[in-house]
Amino acid sequence: MTERQLKGIGVSPGIAVGRVVVVRWALPEVPHRVVARTQVEKEVRRLKAAIKDVRRHFGELRERAVDRAGVDAARIFDAQILMLEDREFIGGVAELIRENHLTAEKAFEFKTLEVRDLWTDAGNPLLKERLADVTGVAIRVIQHLMHRGTDDVWDGISQASIVVAKELSPGLTVQLDREHVVGLISEEGTRTSHAAILAHSIGIPAIFGLRNAVERIRFATTVILDGTRGTVLLDPTPDELAEAQRSETRRSEMTARLEEATTQPSDTLDGTHIALRGNVDLPAEIAAAKAHGAEGVGLLRTEFLLTGQSSLPSEDEQVAYFRRVAEAFPGHPVVVRTYDLGGDKFPAPFRTAPEPNPALGWRAVRVCLDEPAMFRTQIRAILRGAARLPLQLMIPLVTRLDEVERTRAFVAEEAAGLHKAGIEAAASVPVGVMVETPAAAVMADRLAEISDFLSVGTNDLTQYVLVVDRGNARLADRFTPHDPSVLRLLKLVAEAARAAGKPASVCGEMASEPLSAFLLIGLGYKTLSVAPPALPLIKWLIRQVSTERARAAADAALAARSAELALDILRFSLAEAVDLSLLDPDARLPAGRRSGSLKA
Amino acid sequence: MAVIEREAKIVNPLGMHVRPGAEFVKVANRFKSAVAVTNGDVSVNGKSILGMMTLAAECGASIKIKCDGDDAEAAMEALLALVAAGFYEMHLKPEDEEAS
Repeated sequence: MTERQLKGIGVSPGIAVGRVVVVRWALPEVPHRVVARTQVEKEVRRLKAAIKDVRRHFGELRERAVDRAGVDAARIFDAQILMLEDREFIGGVAELIRENHLTAEKAFEFKTLEVRDLWTDAGNPLLKERLADVTGVAIRVIQHLMHRGTDDVWDGISQASIVVAKELSPGLTVQLDREHVVGLISEEGTRTSHAAILAHSIGIPAIFGLRNAVERIRFATTVILDGTRGTVLLDPTPDELAEAQRSETRRSEMTARLEEATTQPSDTLDGTHIALRGNVDLPAEIAAAKAHGAEGVGLLRTEFLLTGQSSLPSEDEQVAYFRRVAEAFPGHPVVVRTYDLGGDKFPAPFRTAPEPNPALGWRAVRVCLDEPAMFRTQIRAILRGAARLPLQLMIPLVTRLDEVERTRAFVAEEAAGLHKAGIEAAASVPVGVMVETPAAAVMADRLAEISDFLSVGTNDLTQYVLVVDRGNARLADRFTPHDPSVLRLLKLVAEAARAAGKPASVCGEMASEPLSAFLLIGLGYKTLSVAPPALPLIKWLIRQVSTERARAAADAALAARSAELALDILRFSLAEAVDLSLLDPDARLPAGRRSGSLKA
Repeated sequence: MAVIEREAKIVNPLGMHVRPGAEFVKVANRFKSAVAVTNGDVSVNGKSILGMMTLAAECGASIKIKCDGDDAEAAMEALLALVAAGFYEMHLKPEDEEAS
């Protein structure tokens, strides 16, 4: 990284080139002035009139947002309109005027600062972020009361400009002139800031959370803003400018191709079908997976049902959730992973003293087998859901054969119990092993014999094989699923499954990244389950390669001495089939993590 | 006059942030009854958007809703339905991860 390059959080993708305009947007200085007792009611009336005007203004902004960013994004303004209708808040301002004889603008400022302090002290980052919304309302009302011109920040911008501000409100963002404002940079805010969401919906490249941007980026400097990577390049050379234009063209071309891929089958060039499923952690991801054409769910996490709960979810609640997910993917399987609880992911009833090594501790199937009531409830829910829908059960963190056998015994007993009770349920469900420990990988042949499918969880497998905590920044370079040791195990599992005639899939994060997906196809995996946002990219990739090429590349990668060499081999081989420059050079994963970078 | 108190679980992934808060306040203001909402030890006016935002109830949290007034029952029914429906934004999810 050069001194000319600054980094923030890319909140809206795309590349923009323009001259910097620094926008000052803050609460105006309100002089402290008291009014005569007789003037107090007049101040309250002035306050009410101003609020009415500003309320109308926000109504207009909302309309504008509907046009520019869509109905969903426009709802951001509902909250601001409601603030102006908030009787408790406005009543509080009026009270301040009446009791302390303040001017309307001073009283409004006081009340706003009170909310600011309250929210800042609450220590909730989301709340702190929403302060921009409150400030946006306050600025407008106070400016109005002080008879100041409002929102003139966009005036005078007459050429392609990149706006740099300390903080941006949704109101400012929706009003900006798309023809002249080509990019946004803000010191405050993250991806979930309302202004960021609006910038994304409107389609303006934007970077938020760039510390001291106002200080570091001089007025009228030309910059290249890369909203995908979150970088700003100051005073670019002509070569850098040309390159920026080229990347932007490639990016928009690629977006179009990915959209196309969504509706096409995920077949390789030689016609081998790779079943592409989605990983679903939260209910909200169901829609995204479906929209991106997932053939079912390869990993349905169930911990969501427990977050923040004081008790365990009931059998009925679980049945309802499993049905809801499966009904979204008619005709395709949904693989329910039984509770992967442990460490800090415990619901209150099971919370135990912190373990010194939670990753090596009492978690996942170990907890389930020790807490049969909880486990049996979940198994019954899966059996009931499977009555009419293709649900499958997957056991996490298996290290021993008896864990599968005991789970199977539970499944058989509960199925018999449900049958006896006359409750509609499947007589059995496919039981699979999530291969995510070295023990399970090494025992894959035996596990394949006693289970219905194997699915590799690459994150935990990598962590346990390489003895690297992936959360440890110092070891970040060592956490790579492309290490030859992990590759050998991946190969072992695929072959064990094939020999036993059982399907093998990969549901780990690795499958969501193009270079690794190419490798996995080459290793013989016919099912990949990926993060929903990565579905179009992986499908597009599958359609560009032949299994023969993938197999040759995988064989060569297996022979490599290091992860770096394995990646070089894959990159080299994939480059013959795919224009790698079409892909984001950093091959960013949906989770914001990078691995298997396509950049040589 | 009736006073009703019920617990409700926040089910939308983003929790009780601004837009759900706004929906809640809109519904609450359709009724005459006073509406109070409690999350942990924070208690706010259910008809005030700033109050509801202060509540900051996350996904999975159990909030207590109290309706006090002639139409308390109808208000409670409407509010519980809104919370149970995840404020109609079950499709939105947090993605507040810092860029690496």
